[in-house]
Amino acid sequence: MNIRGVLIEETFAEAFTMRVARIIVTARSPRWAREAALKLTGFATSVIGCKVEAGIERELPESETPDGRPGLSILMMTMGKDDLPKRLIERIGQTVLTCPTTACFDGLPAAPDRVGVGSALRFFGDGFQSSKVIGGERFWRIPVMEGEFLVQEKFGMVKGVGGGNFLILARSADAALAAAEAAVDAMASHPGVILPFPGGVVRSGSKVGSRRIKSMIASTNDAYCPTLRAITTTALPDTVNSVLEIVMNGTDADAIASAMRMGIGAACIDGIVAISAGNYGGKLGPHHFHLRKIMEGAA
Amino acid sequence: MSGLLVTLRASLEPAADCAGVLAGAWSRLVAADLARRPVALSGRGPVPLGDLCQLTGDPDGTVRFVGDWRRATRLGAGLTEGAVGIEGDVGDEVGVGMAGGSIEVRGSAGHRAGAAAPEARRGMTGGELVVHGSVGREAGALMRRGLLVAGGGVGDHAAVGMIAGTIVAFGAVGPTPGLWSKRGSVVALGEVPIPSTYRYACTYQPVHLRLMLARLKAQYGMPVEGRHLAGFYRRYSGDLAELGKGEILAWTA
Repeated sequence: MNIRGVLIEETFAEAFTMRVARIIVTARSPRWAREAALKLTGFATSVIGCKVEAGIERELPESETPDGRPGLSILMMTMGKDDLPKRLIERIGQTVLTCPTTACFDGLPAAPDRVGVGSALRFFGDGFQSSKVIGGERFWRIPVMEGEFLVQEKFGMVKGVGGGNFLILARSADAALAAAEAAVDAMASHPGVILPFPGGVVRSGSKVGSRRIKSMIASTNDAYCPTLRAITTTALPDTVNSVLEIVMNGTDADAIASAMRMGIGAACIDGIVAISAGNYGGKLGPHHFHLRKIMEGAA
Repeated sequence: MSGLLVTLRASLEPAADCAGVLAGAWSRLVAADLARRPVALSGRGPVPLGDLCQLTGDPDGTVRFVGDWRRATRLGAGLTEGAVGIEGDVGDEVGVGMAGGSIEVRGSAGHRAGAAAPEARRGMTGGELVVHGSVGREAGALMRRGLLVAGGGVGDHAAVGMIAGTIVAFGAVGPTPGLWSKRGSVVALGEVPIPSTYRYACTYQPVHLRLMLARLKAQYGMPVEGRHLAGFYRRYSGDLAELGKGEILAWTA
């Protein structure tokens, strides 16, 4: 399969089941909603080192937020069911509670699995906190120096998909970056999808384990490193001199597949040799995103 | 036709204690079963609701009361479920001691709406009591939880002995609201006299009111205006003769 002269390799992205929460952060202005969201999603690229993967899903207009103020939707994901509540409490407590004018709401109200967030953060109020039940949901009012921080008592948690990906194999680093930027722009604000890495792009794709250190769970994906072409078993065509990866997490497989289609389509530009994907032979992750199936009809 | 419709055949004479009509589980009752619920007529004793009203419709968790219910007391007392609509005015103690569900009064309500029954230590412990008109004195007395809303004025001694919960008044609030309140909130969008046992804290924009008021507008069509959502509120803490964790939030501008 070719799209505008770019080979779509016969391979698939292998992804995993994760636990997801959707957090709605609102504030007096878009600026402060974004400030909180950026801190909330900071250092959250991969569970390998960050314990959590998070990203901004999309901006929300005032008409779509619970309190009618500007906001952002954020997805936060962990591998384990027990990890997510901890990460939500520590991150919302340190980054949203602290940020001027913000409030924090659950973005998955229909999820039957509920985890306590406001119910834990309320203790910061040192006995001065109070709660209100509005429309059947409890919200905590925590007094802070600026006024009050409002946070919903419980947040929904659902199963999601983490690790959707594709690789952009390019003739040059400039071409790889341009294609990656185009892909990210096309995928930005796709409902139900986040790109947890810097700018949505990964330059350091990893393989499972290490050749030398047994305790390492991941190390550089040498098969896709152009500088190692001569000394390792390479997966790169001769003309490829740079590779970038787009990694995406989502609330469901359909959202991932849809975003991949948009991203791959946008990445097929001049200077790109091929689009590939990372997998582990299909033995580790239950979700397989076959590139050619996803791009059917786009060639 | 969905939901039950209870239509008074004639004006209530004498006054009728309707506490037994919606007490306990009622939302799955068919019209004939609800018609057997007792109404205590003053000086005459109990009669079945069906003797006074025509009941029609099918159960879907809602019931509407049509007619002149001004002489009906304790309608919706102890309510735990379902959505109750009263198309006009209603008498005293509507929703007294209610614990869940909702009561929407299209007209005005008498005294002690959502308050505690005489023998009880707590008023409303849950649910929503929304009155589009005014409410009489001692609304929400000993209220423990839940939401009481008045589209018009609120009589004197509202929220007396309030333990928690919220009263929202779109009109003027009468003298001495929130006396002996422990944790409750009185939200005043109109004039409100501040009792001497309340102390001014600050003027700010409580975010939770944006949610609450927006919901009242969407759910019940209450006259919430942009100035209520975006405005500032003076917060008074009280009753300082009690626990002092209650509040009066008075809209300013």
